[in-house]
Amino acid sequence: MTAGGTATEPLVHIKDFRMDFGETTVIKDLSFDVQAGETFGFLGSNGSGKTTTLRALLGIYQPTAGTLHIDGKPFEPRDGARLGYLPEERGLYKKEHVLDVMVYFGRLKGLSKAEARTWSLEYLERVKLADKANLNVDKLSGGQQQKIQLGVTIMNNPELLILDEPTKGFDPVNRRLLMDIIEEQKLAGATVIMVTHQMEEVERLCDRVILLKDGTSRAYGTVSEVQDQFGGTIYRLSFEGALPASDLFEIVSHGPGTADLAPRDGATETAVLRELISSGVGVRSFTTERVSLEDIFISVYGEQNTLAEA
Amino acid sequence: MSTTTKPSPAIAPAPTKRSPLSRHNLGTVVGFEFTRTVKKPRFWIATLAIPVVMAIIFVLIFASNTSTSATAQAQKNASLNFTYTDESGIISEAAAAAMGGSKASDPDTALSAVRAGTSDAYFAYPANPATDTVKVYGTDRGVFANNTYEAVAKQLLAVAAQTTINSPELTAAAGGEVKVQTETFRDGNVSGGFGSALPPLMFLLLFYVVILLLSNQMLNSTLEEKENRVTEMILTTLNPTTLIVGKIISLFLVGLVQVSVFLAPVVVGYVFFRDRLAMPDFDLSSLTFEPGPLIIGALLLLNGFTLFTAVLVAIGAVMPTAKEAGVIFGPLMALIFVPFYAISLILSDPTAPIVQVFTYFPLSAPVTAMLRNGFGTLGTGEAIFIIAMLFILGVLILRLAVHLFRYGSIQYSSKLSITKTLRRRPAELTGK
Repeated sequence: MTAGGTATEPLVHIKDFRMDFGETTVIKDLSFDVQAGETFGFLGSNGSGKTTTLRALLGIYQPTAGTLHIDGKPFEPRDGARLGYLPEERGLYKKEHVLDVMVYFGRLKGLSKAEARTWSLEYLERVKLADKANLNVDKLSGGQQQKIQLGVTIMNNPELLILDEPTKGFDPVNRRLLMDIIEEQKLAGATVIMVTHQMEEVERLCDRVILLKDGTSRAYGTVSEVQDQFGGTIYRLSFEGALPASDLFEIVSHGPGTADLAPRDGATETAVLRELISSGVGVRSFTTERVSLEDIFISVYGEQNTLAEA
Repeated sequence: MSTTTKPSPAIAPAPTKRSPLSRHNLGTVVGFEFTRTVKKPRFWIATLAIPVVMAIIFVLIFASNTSTSATAQAQKNASLNFTYTDESGIISEAAAAAMGGSKASDPDTALSAVRAGTSDAYFAYPANPATDTVKVYGTDRGVFANNTYEAVAKQLLAVAAQTTINSPELTAAAGGEVKVQTETFRDGNVSGGFGSALPPLMFLLLFYVVILLLSNQMLNSTLEEKENRVTEMILTTLNPTTLIVGKIISLFLVGLVQVSVFLAPVVVGYVFFRDRLAMPDFDLSSLTFEPGPLIIGALLLLNGFTLFTAVLVAIGAVMPTAKEAGVIFGPLMALIFVPFYAISLILSDPTAPIVQVFTYFPLSAPVTAMLRNGFGTLGTGEAIFIIAMLFILGVLILRLAVHLFRYGSIQYSSKLSITKTLRRRPAELTGK
C-alpha cells in the first residue's frame, strides 16, 4: 500500500467475494470498489456481513471465493504501517499504561519511539486524557478506552482508514469529536471505509455507500444514486381520513394523521395529490422531500424484520 | 465543520524509513514484552521470594552451624569417665586409661555405678567383638550426646586393634582407609568418569529451571491477546510469527533475569561464606569437559526448549482462557518428570523398552536423552536422531502455533477446532 489507487485502479477492490460459515453462506458474490481519497459508507443491519467482509479484506479471514485487494494485492501485515483499523471487537493491553500501549502500537506502525510518544501525548491532550497517560488502560472508562483505541488507529497517518462502528460506545459530545477527527483524516487525503448505523453521519461524510442485506448488495453508489435507486423523492403527508391503495404511490410509513408516500413509476406530485383528494382524503399538508438514507435503511431492513416476525 | 481549537495531532509524523520492518517489529515486540514483565511489582515479588527464602535458610544454617560447632567443641573438651570389662583380651589398659577409662572388676558393680551416676559409662566387650555385641551403658545426656558412648567404645576397640597389629599399613588396609584412583577408557581414550558426567547434566538442570520458571508465561503469552481482544489490531499490524518469536525471545530474557536473581545469593554465599554455611568445596579440577557430550547436551536443551515452548504457545492459541489452558498444562508438565521414575533403569539398562519409549517420545525425550548423554549411554546416532526429531517437531509445532494464532485467535470466547483451522477455513471457526 504505497502508491494508493489510481483512476483506473481502485484502492480497495472486492470482486465476487463469497464467504461460507460451515454450511451457511454469509456473503454471496459481493463486488464493490473504493477509490483512493473517498469516504465510503458500509451499511447494513447487524449480521449482514459487514465485519466479515472487512476481516476478509484484511486477511483475518480467508475468503471462500473471490478477490479482495488493497492497492492491487491481498493485504499483508507488513502493509499495516499505512493502515488504520478500528475493529468492531475493541481491545487494548488492559494492564499496561495508556502511553506505553500507544507508543508500542506506534512503534509497530513504523514510528520512532520519540515520534510515537510525542504524538500520543498531543493526542491525549486533545481528547482530554492527558492525566491518564500513566494509568493502566483498565482504569479508564469504556468511552475513554475507545478514544485511546481511535488514537492508536490514526497515529500513523494511515492512507486507508477502516472504522468498524467507530461511534459505538461514544456519548454525543465524544461522537462529535470522533467525527471531527475522521473528517480531518479525510481532508488529509486518507481513504476512509466506515461501518456505521448513524445515517446522518453517512450523509454528511460519505462520498459513496454500499448497503448490504443477507450478504448481498442492495444498493451501491453515491448517496444521491442510492437515493435515486429507492425513488429519490418522498411525499410527506398530513391528512384526515383513510389512505386509499393506489398505483401511483406506495405507503412507506404510516402514523396517526401522517404518512410518507413513495411515488411509483415517476408519478408526479400533482397526480398523487389529485388521487388523494379524489379519494376523499382531507389533505392538511403535502411536502416533497429527498428520501433519506435512514428511510431507505428502514425500508430495506424493516421489510426483513417484518418477514422475521411473520 | 471542525470545532476543535487545539493543535491537532491528526497528521502523524511520517514513519521513519527502516528496512526490513519485520526485524524492527521483532525488536519492538521483544522490548515491549520484556519491559512490561520486569517492571511489574508482582514479577519482582515472585522472583525475589525464592532468594529471600534461600537467604533465610542460609541464616538459619549459619546460626545452627555456629551453635553445633560450639557444642561439638564443648563435647570434645569434656572428659569421659568410664569403666569396661573385656572378655576378648584385646583392649589395652594403657589405651583405655588414655581415653579416661579403667578396667572394672565386676560388671554388676560397674553397671550400678552408671545407674547411680557415679560413672559416666560402662562398656562390656564380649569374647568375640566381630560376632558378638559390645554392650554400652551410660548416663543419659540427651539423644545426640548419648552417641558419644558408642563412639568412644568403638574408638577404644579400634585403637586396641591397631596396637595389636602394630602396622599402620595393615591397619589402614583393614579399615579400608586407602586411596584409589580409577581410570577407564572409551574408544581408546581415557574417559572422565563421574567428573565428565556432571557438565552435560548441567544442561538438564538448566532445562528444568527454564521450563519450570517460564512455562506458565509461555502458556499465557498468546492467551493475553485473545483475552484482551487485541488480536485484530495485532494481526493487521504485525506478522504473527514475529509476535510469537518476539514473545519467546522476551521470555528467555526474563528467564535469564530470574536465574541471575536466584543464583546471586548462592554465588555470594559460596564465595564469601562457604565455611560458615558448610557449603561443599567443589574441586572443579575433577570435572572433565568433553566437547561431544557438551555439544549434544546444548542441542538437546535448545531443541527441547523449542519443542516445549511451541507446544505451550499452541495450547495458548487453542484455549480461550488461562483457566481452561491449565487443564492441559498440568499433564504436559508431568511428562518432563516421568523419566525420573525410571531413572535407575535409564542409567543401568538403556536398552530396556520403557527407556527406549521415553527416549523417543517427543515430550519425554529431552530429559531422558540428556540423562543418558550425561552418563554416557546415548550413542552418537541416537543423539543425532533425537536432536533432529526435536528440532523438526519444534519447528512444525511452532508453525502450527502461529497458524492457530493467525486463524484461530479471532475466536475469542470458545475453544478452537484444530481440525477446522488446519483446513484453512477460518470463517468456519467463528461458528457464526
